[in-house]
Amino acid sequence: MSSAGFTWEGRSFQIDARCLEGDPVPGAWVHVCALPLESARIQYDQPEVQQVRRDALAWWIPLLGDELVCLSTLALDEVYCGGAITVARSPRLFDQDPFARLFPGTVIRSDVFSVVAAPAGPVLERYAGAPWPGGRFG
Amino acid sequence: MTALQPGERFPDLDLPDHTGRARTLSELAAGDPVVLVFSRGWWCPKEQRYLRELTGLQDEFEVAYTRIVVVSVDEPGVQSAFRAGLGARFTFLSDAQRQWLGRLGLEETTDTTHHPYLPTAFTLHPDLTIHAVYPGYWYWGRATMQELRRDMRTISRAVREGFDGP
Repeated sequence: MSSAGFTWEGRSFQIDARCLEGDPVPGAWVHVCALPLESARIQYDQPEVQQVRRDALAWWIPLLGDELVCLSTLALDEVYCGGAITVARSPRLFDQDPFARLFPGTVIRSDVFSVVAAPAGPVLERYAGAPWPGGRFG
Repeated sequence: MTALQPGERFPDLDLPDHTGRARTLSELAAGDPVVLVFSRGWWCPKEQRYLRELTGLQDEFEVAYTRIVVVSVDEPGVQSAFRAGLGARFTFLSDAQRQWLGRLGLEETTDTTHHPYLPTAFTLHPDLTIHAVYPGYWYWGRATMQELRRDMRTISRAVREGFDGP
């Protein structure tokens, strides 16, 4: 499975399944860049979504360094993105989260997320509709 | 010159990336074709020029399910700054401890100051089988961007089902 369910404010998304597969990091900080409204969505192929993924690879992940636990876009289906989550050991850098350009961020704490190796660029496209950066061919 | 030749499996390098995170080459490949570039380091004007070319190519790699990985003897912090200056979004691996340099037979023996890698590029299948090797001690020996595109096409055609269309 390359995706797993994630529910926030009554809204259901798909995230990179690896975020929930390892040993959970207790009390991790989660920056949820999404809105409860069902209409708050944007196509993955829109330039805004492409660019925030470029920014994540270029500077967001290096900036977070060892504080990063995992991150995932929030997939609604094969076409639409509902935002993204960045999970970290501290919320101190969340005000710089590039994904907040898509939808405003809300900070929550959670005990369910696990450490995932940060995505290696430069691939931005999704694998068979999986929530970026999850999935692979073969 | 390296003994690694087309058809052989490239060793699964285990090195820290530009952020200091432990990585393996197979993890970075993640099932995709790879351009693996051994680079002297940030100080070399030839490397600066070549990596600017490679950075220009990343826009195509990011939509083509293919990877770029650069290895040098720079420390991760130096690589991170160099990468940011280039505007690169691909991964750098740091072999500052020279743990793979000798094992790969890629020592540049003429540089006794930095003891860097001999500039060399490999194009790899997703399972790290070597498709082609480009010795880059002389700049004109390096893979052109057109040659990298050609190799990525050849490898992708071999490994992607329905490459010519569903």
